[in-house]
Amino acid sequence: MIRAHVTGTKMLVSWIALLVLTFISFGISRVGLTGGAELAAALTISIVKTFIVLFIFMHLIEQRFANRLIVIVTFLFIVLLVTLTAADPMTRKTYPKTPDPSARPID
Amino acid sequence: MPVRAVELAEQFETIEKQEHAARLAMWVFLGSETLLFAGLFALYAAYRVMYPADFHQALAHNDTVLGTVNTVVLITSSFTVALAVHYVREDKSRLAALLLGLSVAFGMTFLVVKFVEYADHIHHHALPAGMYTMANAPPAGAVMGQTLYWFMTALHGLHVVAGMIMLGVAAIGCARRRYGRHRFIIVENSGLYWHLVDIVWIFLWPLFYLVK
Repeated sequence: MIRAHVTGTKMLVSWIALLVLTFISFGISRVGLTGGAELAAALTISIVKTFIVLFIFMHLIEQRFANRLIVIVTFLFIVLLVTLTAADPMTRKTYPKTPDPSARPID
Repeated sequence: MPVRAVELAEQFETIEKQEHAARLAMWVFLGSETLLFAGLFALYAAYRVMYPADFHQALAHNDTVLGTVNTVVLITSSFTVALAVHYVREDKSRLAALLLGLSVAFGMTFLVVKFVEYADHIHHHALPAGMYTMANAPPAGAVMGQTLYWFMTALHGLHVVAGMIMLGVAAIGCARRRYGRHRFIIVENSGLYWHLVDIVWIFLWPLFYLVK
């Protein structure tokens, strides 16, 4: 059933890769990219790091597809949840876009 | 004293199927844990879109260097846990116990750094919900950002504590040679939980410390 074996060397390399990615992420945040680009870069690096942890540290690479399926389904649910929730305020036609906190409905 | 092999429960045909069931159940549990955090990440996304400038103000309280130190600590602890699982499979239980103990110490380091940060926030009145007070009343979005920061990091902190308990129990079991080549699923599942705690932090760190 085991397809690939996670060795100590692979773990060491993964750990170093995770640390390097952490410092790259830190470095990018210092460069001062504007808004969206900075967020996109940071999240992309986080996703790459997650893959390393999932496949090597959590041994997903040597497990049955059933276990991988759970990760895939979870990921799809998260994407659905986050995009739909964020899509509401992003596509609002009301004005102003940001609700006025002092505004109260008329009693 | 050799490690006792795992017993086969009557509902399973083989040890392999029994271990697969235990591992699959852990993955399902981790999936549900992830969805718990996903709800909060969704709120973060929605409120950040609504109040970009206010979020900037709320997150300015966070110390990027301390956050990065904690990221390195958690990633390293994940590495030591992965090594522990590797060695317990090779029947090197004492080495695994040592590595698990080291991971618990890393967890403790993480919590100490987090409490230093919390103490600083309390000192600056950067608190959640209505407790967030400054010279001028903070805007609604900043209060929301600060509330999400406290709630998400505190919930993550609770998971760190739970993970430390699991790793501690696994470490004691390894030290007493209760777990070894023929009995390691508990060590493996505790490790899986700890890696999830690490993954959640991998996302909390850029969202609360890096992207301002």
